[in-house]
Amino acid sequence: VSASRERLPQDSRPDPVRRYLRTLFALLALLAVTAIAALIPLGRWNTPIGLGISVGKALLVMGIFMHESEARALTRLASSLGFIWLSALMGLLLLDFATRVWVPRPW
Amino acid sequence: MTSTAASIGMECTPQVQAQYDDAKQQREAATLGMWIFLSTEILFFGVLFASYTVCRVLYPEGFAAASRRTDMWLGTAETAVLLVSSSLIALGVRSIQIDRRGWASALFAATASLGIAFLVMHGFEYHKEYSEHLVPGLDFDQTGPLSRAVELFFWMYYCITGFHSLHVAIGIVVISVLAVRIARGRFGALDCTAPDLAALYWHLVDIVWIFVYPLIYLAGRSA
Repeated sequence: VSASRERLPQDSRPDPVRRYLRTLFALLALLAVTAIAALIPLGRWNTPIGLGISVGKALLVMGIFMHESEARALTRLASSLGFIWLSALMGLLLLDFATRVWVPRPW
Repeated sequence: MTSTAASIGMECTPQVQAQYDDAKQQREAATLGMWIFLSTEILFFGVLFASYTVCRVLYPEGFAAASRRTDMWLGTAETAVLLVSSSLIALGVRSIQIDRRGWASALFAATASLGIAFLVMHGFEYHKEYSEHLVPGLDFDQTGPLSRAVELFFWMYYCITGFHSLHVAIGIVVISVLAVRIARGRFGALDCTAPDLAALYWHLVDIVWIFVYPLIYLAGRSA
């Protein structure tokens, strides 16, 4: 093992195990918070809070498990593109519903 | 890598193709290509999420009532299983990077096992819904003013969770094959591209479920 570590350049040495374990505990804690928050009557805020916590969990998985925090700018751009286009799709969709005026038929 | 190369003990030496300067650049190109594929997967599920959003905006009460018919605690357990499996495969890739193939193989096998556990739990969930006559097109027997919206929710539910389970099943096969190949001495500190890319796929499957969980299982729970 030590020989392998010596062969590896500085930037390709793996993260310590405790970093992964801390991330897992954080993810499980956020899961518990999501479930509990869903049971508290918060009106229309229940769904945004649940999705907001989900964004936090997704960022943890991407940043630590998928090593996006250490990735090159081009890789980060490629990994963001799907989410950016999805955000555009959902944003425009919701904007349409929020601003649409139902015009009665003239006949 | 060819079998000839493996047989003469070169399994840790990556084959750098002519178009790359070095192994690092080759690996970065592979990661970039994988992310482009994963972006198409994000958009694939994105369309399903967009359909769900439209239906939920149109029928909020019906979707809240239907969501309460799903098994929240089983859904929570399924989410926990996938989160743990994601951490295990990340540790598996780390083990390959330090040439601990025994650990890596065990961690990949454990990840595949948790994937199977996820599918089994989903099977129980589907069976419960079938026994409650909540399967549109097959056995749907609900009445009342919200029944059409409830039916629409369950169409979306089976579509989203079904396609997700298909991705989990593909991941299980890929990760199981890799676990066997790692146990046989393939891959190592300087050649871990394939396990790394498989792990990226598995993490994305996990991320999709992270968003499925609040949308499917938690809508209208506080009412």
